[in-house]
Amino acid sequence: MTDTSRRLYAVVIAVVVFFVSWATVAAHPWATAKADPRLTALAQREQRLRADAKLVQQVVDSRTAAYHSALRARRAQIAAAKAQAAAAQARALRVSQSTTQAAQPAAAPDVRVVNLPPLTITRTS
Amino acid sequence: MLRRVFSAMGTDVELLLDAKPGERSDRALDRAVAEFERLEQVMSRFRDESELSGLNRNGRIADASTDLVRVVELALQARESTGGRFDPTVHDAVVAAGYDRTFDAVAPDTTGHPFGAPARCGGGVRVRGHSIELEPGIRLDLGGIGKGYAADRVADLLAVVGSCLVNAGGDLAVRGGSWPVGVTDDVTLELTRGGMATSGRDRRRWLRNGEEQHHLIDPATGRPAAGGPIRVTVVAGSAVAAEVAAKAAFLGLDVDLPHVVVTADGHTVLAGGLS
Repeated sequence: MTDTSRRLYAVVIAVVVFFVSWATVAAHPWATAKADPRLTALAQREQRLRADAKLVQQVVDSRTAAYHSALRARRAQIAAAKAQAAAAQARALRVSQSTTQAAQPAAAPDVRVVNLPPLTITRTS
Repeated sequence: MLRRVFSAMGTDVELLLDAKPGERSDRALDRAVAEFERLEQVMSRFRDESELSGLNRNGRIADASTDLVRVVELALQARESTGGRFDPTVHDAVVAAGYDRTFDAVAPDTTGHPFGAPARCGGGVRVRGHSIELEPGIRLDLGGIGKGYAADRVADLLAVVGSCLVNAGGDLAVRGGSWPVGVTDDVTLELTRGGMATSGRDRRRWLRNGEEQHHLIDPATGRPAAGGPIRVTVVAGSAVAAEVAAKAAFLGLDVDLPHVVVTADGHTVLAGGLS
């Protein structure tokens, strides 16, 4: 290799090193990225919302559990009331039937003692 | 006034209808007679082929007619409301007392037929829909209440044509009109609606081994009721109600209904608002 060739290589290498250094310096690798305030605000808002959602979910869960508990109690009350009503109705029906059809006065018969010749008679049946 | 008399349910039935003579009233009276026959075929214990006889024979019936179900239900309700004084399960007790065939065929004195043990009354009867089931050894006698039911039902049929009175051997049902009904020689009651019935030991009685028997069984003893009044006539909202109340009153239940009692010493007592 001649001196001319060596010099040529050295120049090329120097040029390459120069441009690489240029590009490196131009890229400002030492400078920290400046945060976008809008992104920061969004991130903060997201965090707040997540916290709020968690809180709301806890409240909803608590209220749902209370609702289901109250619903079960209410259904039990309704079932008991229905059973009571049915029993009362059955009792009333029995009383009504027994008074209508058995020994107590119901649709009060219309009767009076008269001094008329009978059209028919009743006797031991 | 139209009148028709015929025999049904082991007694004389009398229909009085306040309507003009004609085809319509004749048809109504014919229908009334047919209805008695139909109901007797359902509830007679003396007809082997009746529904009731089938139930008593087999202890159960799966497809009972509406009428049989209804009368059995009424009888069970009456048993409950009268504290057991009215009881449809007295069949075997009545038979044991000697009333084991139509009354006309019962011998007036059955000397030589010793009494058996008193029959058990108050047995279980279960009604579910159109199915009726009897506790083993229990049979039903719907004679009295069946007549009341038939009187009420026939009165409803005749009432379409005019005011009427149906008298099924002492069980009366009235729909409209004013009907003087003789209760005793001295007492006549005018009835405009409802029913009237008489229970007593002055009829349907016979001798067995020298002892007088009658058809009114005291469910507490399983024997014909001893003592008590001669007869009781009760007025109620229907013939069924009157029949039940009369029987219960005869057996000692206080009834808050107009009624006439002929006491054992022959006195007539008006009660329940009658005067």
